[in-house]
Amino acid sequence: MRLGPGTRVGILAEMADGETSGAVSEQAAEGALAYLTEMSPDLRGAAIVGPDGAVLAASGDAGRWREDVAELFAVADGAGGEPVEQIHLGTEQGEVFALRHAGLAAVAVSERFALASLTFFDLRALLRDLVAGAAA
Amino acid sequence: MTPPKPHRVLLDRVSGYADEAAAYMRRRRASRRPFARLYYPGGRAEDHADDSRAGAELFVAAGRLIEIAGKRPKP
Repeated sequence: MRLGPGTRVGILAEMADGETSGAVSEQAAEGALAYLTEMSPDLRGAAIVGPDGAVLAASGDAGRWREDVAELFAVADGAGGEPVEQIHLGTEQGEVFALRHAGLAAVAVSERFALASLTFFDLRALLRDLVAGAAA
Repeated sequence: MTPPKPHRVLLDRVSGYADEAAAYMRRRRASRRPFARLYYPGGRAEDHADDSRAGAELFVAAGRLIEIAGKRPKP
């Protein structure tokens, strides 16, 4: 399923956690992404997406991340009949981790055989820090 | 008790290596198999096979993200 610009699903329309009480700045998201990239040796790319589906920070082309992250969550939500909280996909080319938390979403692409629990822990910690920073 | 004939020792060693290699290939095949796992609030998790419709769509979406991410830059 390829979504066009006019058919983009609001990926965070139904959130697993509560919404953020304050707006997360792009600067904070970029700092968090840089930190994640630095401490994750298996990470190949990542993006942080805001409540409206806009990319707050991404490695590479933000427009493509926005579209493809929206598509991933749309497909995942449709697969189980309810909004997903976490997505873990493994292929021969690499692994994809996606996580929703408090109105934000973080997506990371890693080498194959990355430690899943650790990656999800890092993504969740990253989003929690961003939410806490925005609320302060 | 007589010691085993030398060629028997050699055959045992070769078949031992072959068994090891076969087990390695089995493990490798299993670990390289693609998977799609979705986790929901409350702890429920679902696996989607790559030959299911949802699984196929998930793998297409994942492939696009992997393509955007590209290769990890060398330090």
